[in-house]
Formats: sequence, structure tokens, C-alpha cells
Amino acid sequence: MSALGTLDFKNVKKQYHVKGETLDVLDGINLHIKPGEFVSIVGSSGCGKSTLLRLAIGLDDDYQGDILLDGARIKGTSLKRGIVFQEHRLFPWLTVEQNVGLALENSTLSSNERAKTIAEHLELVGLKGFEKAYPYQLSGGMSQRVAIARGLVNRPEILLLDEPFGALDALTRANLQNELQRIWQTEGITMILVTHDVEEAVLLGDRVVIMEPRPGRIKRTVEVDVPHPRQRADLRLAAIKDDVLSEFGHEHDTALQPAAEGFGFKDYLFAW
Amino acid sequence: MSAFKTRLQALGQRDFRGLVLPLGLILAWYLISKFNLANSAILASPYEVWKEGYGQISSGAFALDLVHSVSRNLGGFVVGGTAGLILGSLLGVSRWADRLISPSFNTIKSIAIFAWIPLISVWFGMGEPAKIIFIAIAAFYPTTINTYEGIRSVHRDHVEVARVFEFSRWQLFRKVILPSASPQIITGIQLALIYSWLATIGAEYFLKSGHGIANSMIDGREHFNMGSVLFGVVVVGVVGAIVNQLAFKLEKHLLGWRNRTA
Amino acid sequence: MSTAITLNQSDIPAEVSAKRPSQWRQKTGQKLQQILWALVLPLLVLGLWQITSAHEWVSPQILPPPSLVWQTLTELWQSGDLTSNLQISVERVAYGFGVGTVVGLLLGALMGLSKTVEAYLFPTFKALSQIPALGWIPLLIMVVGIGESMKILVIAKAALVPVTVNTLQGIRNIPPQFAEVAKVYRFNTRQLLAKVVIPAALPSLFTGIRYGLTHAWLALVTVELLASSEGIGFLMVWGRQLFQLDLVLATVVIIGAVGLLIDQSLQWLETHFLKWRRVAF
Repeated sequence: MSALGTLDFKNVKKQYHVKGETLDVLDGINLHIKPGEFVSIVGSSGCGKSTLLRLAIGLDDDYQGDILLDGARIKGTSLKRGIVFQEHRLFPWLTVEQNVGLALENSTLSSNERAKTIAEHLELVGLKGFEKAYPYQLSGGMSQRVAIARGLVNRPEILLLDEPFGALDALTRANLQNELQRIWQTEGITMILVTHDVEEAVLLGDRVVIMEPRPGRIKRTVEVDVPHPRQRADLRLAAIKDDVLSEFGHEHDTALQPAAEGFGFKDYLFAW
Repeated sequence: MSAFKTRLQALGQRDFRGLVLPLGLILAWYLISKFNLANSAILASPYEVWKEGYGQISSGAFALDLVHSVSRNLGGFVVGGTAGLILGSLLGVSRWADRLISPSFNTIKSIAIFAWIPLISVWFGMGEPAKIIFIAIAAFYPTTINTYEGIRSVHRDHVEVARVFEFSRWQLFRKVILPSASPQIITGIQLALIYSWLATIGAEYFLKSGHGIANSMIDGREHFNMGSVLFGVVVVGVVGAIVNQLAFKLEKHLLGWRNRTA
Repeated sequence: MSTAITLNQSDIPAEVSAKRPSQWRQKTGQKLQQILWALVLPLLVLGLWQITSAHEWVSPQILPPPSLVWQTLTELWQSGDLTSNLQISVERVAYGFGVGTVVGLLLGALMGLSKTVEAYLFPTFKALSQIPALGWIPLLIMVVGIGESMKILVIAKAALVPVTVNTLQGIRNIPPQFAEVAKVYRFNTRQLLAKVVIPAALPSLFTGIRYGLTHAWLALVTVELLASSEGIGFLMVWGRQLFQLDLVLATVVIIGAVGLLIDQSLQWLETHFLKWRRVAF
């Protein structure tokens, strides 16, 4: 497979400014990801692992340090980098194939080629026959399959996965983890998976990066030296999982959730 | 002193762009009337409106109108709102009542409320009872609909919790259904306030008797007193806005537990 | 590309599979039962009303029998008075609603797409919209007279407010997650509008138009009652002045029927054109 898809984080630091206070979200992140590698990032909530992905996809440019794809500093979003979000983010007014086609809006493919590659990718994620279905007809697992197809369809060099199976039930999740492993082997592209599920991280990753919060830092990196395709019941994986789990202390959430701010349209009633 | 300073700072940070348009319009209005660019009988100057308003306020005529309008507004609102709460709860709680009454209610509801005015005037005359009945109808619809829908959309999960704890029917209504329907019931009450104010103006237009804000607007129009009409428009808007504001304060107070965007 | 894998049975939701005919029969039965229940109350009221007036417990001047109302209704239809007056009313609604909707869509879209425009316009718009159309009538009569333009302006104002508010709301409430998807795939402004903003705002836009038309009809009835010499509202006033309550009641029926027709047809349109909306948002 191609040698493209090297991702480098160099001294990445990210701060939020809330009401005059500065909050360190990420500090001193250094990470080198090889082409075709599968890297899992685990950590408790608030360790900045999802923020790291937002920086890598280019939805947030406000950080210090460098993120380089194949040696070039990333700027904004790019079709070279794909992403699968935790919520599937399918557009409810489009069918499955139209949703996948969104990713090809700005590709140079002809409409025939587009249709062909969409069909291929829907087949890859096991959704052949559901092309004309609307998102409301899909289960959570199927929606996430569509989202994966959408992330892959324009053949990015790197696919970022932000807790893609976090909202699914255990059986569907296990099923999709196996699928993802197969897809990654088929496509041979670089993948970075952010998750809070240690078993998932160990099962899929060539390396598991463990992060810790306040500020978000890399605590340790664990090599998973087990050849693919892997079996869930592999004892070597179980040992690595225990090792990774030992890094997590007992942290408790101490802060209340702040109320979300909305545009107060409910306040707007009127007579004719 | 420092409190004053922070207040001043807060004032400086407020968004004043919204004031540009109204101030501009008032300036244009002032200039047009000052240089007689339009028929002065049609366009009263801001000063004339001010003079008219000041005259009405100092003579006590304004207070008399306002008291009449607001009290019949509240009277109709209370009657119609209470009836709406009762019917809405009944339809929401009882399947039988829902099947029997809801279709008729929805059909009657689609008759524009002002179409009832001629009938009301025949059946109840032009006096205060007729006006209050009309205002009550206006307040009745939104409270009924929103109470009904609020109760209907109570989460099954929450009802199941009540069943696990063996709540009585009254406890179920009081502790589960009412609180979880309350956001929508309050929306219904807010709408009822808005519509009853609209109906108050309408009742005073159509059932011309006694005092009221809209009565004096009609008088103003008949005597070609533009200042009086414009003053009336402003008062109608201001009273409506105050009523709304009070309703939202009430909602905030009662529904602090609800994350508004959730 | 590898071969496709089989789906879990649990992965396929029930809606995809077809409904069985026995279910359909059960549904029709339920529907029929619902209709029968719904008819009980109206029939009871009509019966009581007919008996009351047949025995002249109430003067027919105050409450004419339903049969007389029906007779008046058919006479109105046969003489053509109904159609001619209704036509005038419908034309007024069409003009007023048309003007109000076009202006409302523009205003709502401008404020929705630009925070700056919103900052300048929205406070004034909100303040003015709080004054009901009814409050403007005496002023409008003085400025533009009692003719057609006054009526159309009042109707347009009634339609304008919900259309504007819902357009603005529809655009503002588009989930930011969707905008991020558009950014990931590098949509330009045109693609963002065509693929995200318009379809996402469409349900809200439709709601606005629905309220707009309903409000326009309500405003029409009011304005015709207040000042007009033709139209369905005028027919009502005329009946009131001649103390022909049968005519008044007949027009009440017509006004209700048109209101119902507007509401139902718009609901039907909404469910048919926005079928993806079922559980979205």
C-alpha cells in the first residue's frame, strides 16, 4: 500500500479561555504515527483525547506546536483526512447513498465513478441493499456503518475515529470492532481511534496511547505486539489490557455540568 | 463607586446595534413632520403623540382606560385559562373523554375566534359579560391544547417509576404527570395571555361600550386624531410586552429545573 | 475490496419489513371506531338543538333550528352568494399571505444567515411583532384608508411574523455538528446552503408557512368583520345587522370549514414531503 499517511504531533499545546481563565486542555503532546498504523488513544473523560482529534481533522486551528501530515503542517480540513464522529451525523433528509455521496461533493470523480465507489464502500461496510433507506429507518449500528463508509469513500490517507462505537450496545459494538479490523486491513490506511473502552483499544491498536487529564498529556504508550487479524479471546491481549487498566487511578467527576446555552426562541410567542 | 463602575462596564458591553433602526425611524419621523413633508392630518409629529399621551395621563382618562382593559383582560384570561386547564387535563388523562370530545374540540377550534363575535353580541349583548366571554374563549384554546399535549407526552418511563413505587392515581397525577407536563402547560398559559390581550383589543373594537384602550383608539380615529391613535398603538404594544415579560419571569421561577435547550 | 459480511438480525429494524394485511384490517377497524366515537357528541348537540328550537324553548331569533341553518347554507350556495363572497375573501388571503410570506422568508433568511443583520433588525422586529395586527388597524385606516390595501397589509402582517420567526429559528437551530460535517468535506458556500442549510431549515420553514396561512385566514375574518362590504366576513356582519342568525351561523360553519381545510391540507403536505423527519431532530 502507499507510504502516505504519516501523522506527527510535535509539542502540541491547546488552551481554552473561559471567562478570563485559562484552561490547559492539552500539553506537550508528541506522537509519531507511521503509514498504515492503527493507533488507539484511551483516557478518562476530560483528558483531551477528542480535542486531539478535532485538531488533527482541522476543525480547530487554535493551538500551539505542529501537527504534520506527511511532513506538511495541516491547515483547516482536507479530503486527505477523514473522520467518523461518535454520533453518526448522517443528514436525516438524505438517503444512505446520498449521505455517503456528501463526501464526494468536492471530488474530481465523474458521476459514474462516484456511484461505483459509493456502491463499493456500502458493500464494504455490509450495507448493500440499504442504499435508498433514510437514517430514521436505520439502527444505531447501521448508521455508524454508513458513517464509516462516508469517512472512507474519498480514500483519505488517514481516518480519525472519535469514539465511533461509544453509543452502541455491546453485541453491535463487538461486531463492528471486527468489521473495522477487517476494513483497516483491506484499505491499508492509517487509523487513529479515540475510545474510553480499553478492550477495544487493545483489540484494534498496534499501539495504545494512554492519556491523563488536567492538562491532557500522554502518560504511556503500550505496544500491542500481536499479529492481525486478532481474536478477542487471545490471552496476550488480556494481559496487555490488564496492564493498560492498571494505569487508570480512581478519578471521580467533581464538577456539575454547566447548563447549555441555547438561542432562546422558546421565549418568542406572538399573536397575529 | 466600584459597583457603579462595573455597571457602567456592563453597559458598555451591551449590544446597542438594535437601537439604530428605531432611533433612525423616530428621527426620520420627526424630520418629516417638522418640515411638513407629509399631510399633517395623517402624520402626527412625535411631539403631538407625546402631548396627547401626556394629556390622557394627566386627565386620568388613560388610567381609567387602562384599568378597564387590563381587568377585563385578566378576568377573561382567568375564566378561559381555568376552563382550559380542566378540559385539557380531562382529555389528557381519560381515554374516553379524549375519544368523545377531542374531535369536536378540534373542529370547533378551527373556527376563527372573531367569528364568534356576532353570535356573542346577540346572545350576551355588548356589555362586560360578552367581552369577558370572548376573551375567555381566546384564552381557552391554547391552555386546553397545551395541557392536553403536555400530559400526553409524559414519559412512559416516569409513569413506570410511579408504578414501581405503587403511587395512587392522585399521587401519579400530582407527582409525575403534572410536573412533567408543566413546561408545556406554562407555554399554553403564556399563549393564553398573549391571545387574551389580542381578544381584549378585539372585544373593545367590536363590542363598543364602556372604557378601554382600544375604545379610545377608535374614538381617536373617528375624530381624526392621529396622535391619540398612535399613542394607543404604543400602549397596546407596551402592555402586551409587559404581560409577556411577567409570564416569562414566572416560567423561569417555576421551571428552574429544566435545562431549556434539553 | 473484500466480500460483504452478513448483517446481524438485530441490526435490521422492524420498519423495513412490510406490514401484514391482518394488521391493516385491524387498523381500519380502529379508525372506524374512532369516527363513531367522534360523532356522538356532535349528534347529541345537534339533536338537543333541534328539539329546543322545535319546541320554541328559545326564540328562533336567538337560536334558529339547525334545519334552518342548513337551508340557508344551501340557498347561499345556489344563489352564488357564497361562491362570489368566498372568492373575494380567498383572493385577499392569497395576496396578503403572498406578500407576507415573501417578505418574511427574506427577512428571516437575512437575519438567520447574518448575525450582523440580526443584531440591527431583530429587536425592532420583535417589538413591532408584539403589537397584534389588530392594534395596527385604526392606524392603517387613517394612513391608507379603509380599502383593499389596508386589508391586505393587515393580513400580510399576520402572515409575516410566523414566517420570519420560523425561518430565522430554522436556520439558527441547525445542529453545529452538521456544519462540521460540511467543513470536513470542504463544502463551499453554495454547497453549504444547498446541502445543509436549506434542507435542515425546511421543516421549520414549513411550520412558519403553515402558521402564516392560518394566521392570515384569522386576520382576514377579523378585518372583514371590522370594515368591508363584501367577503365572507361581511356576509356575517350583514346577517347580524338584519338579525338573521341563521345566516350568521351558516357563515360560522363556512369559516370553520375553510379553517379546517387549510389546516388539514397543510398537515398532509407536510407529512408527505418531509417523510425523513419522522424521528430526526
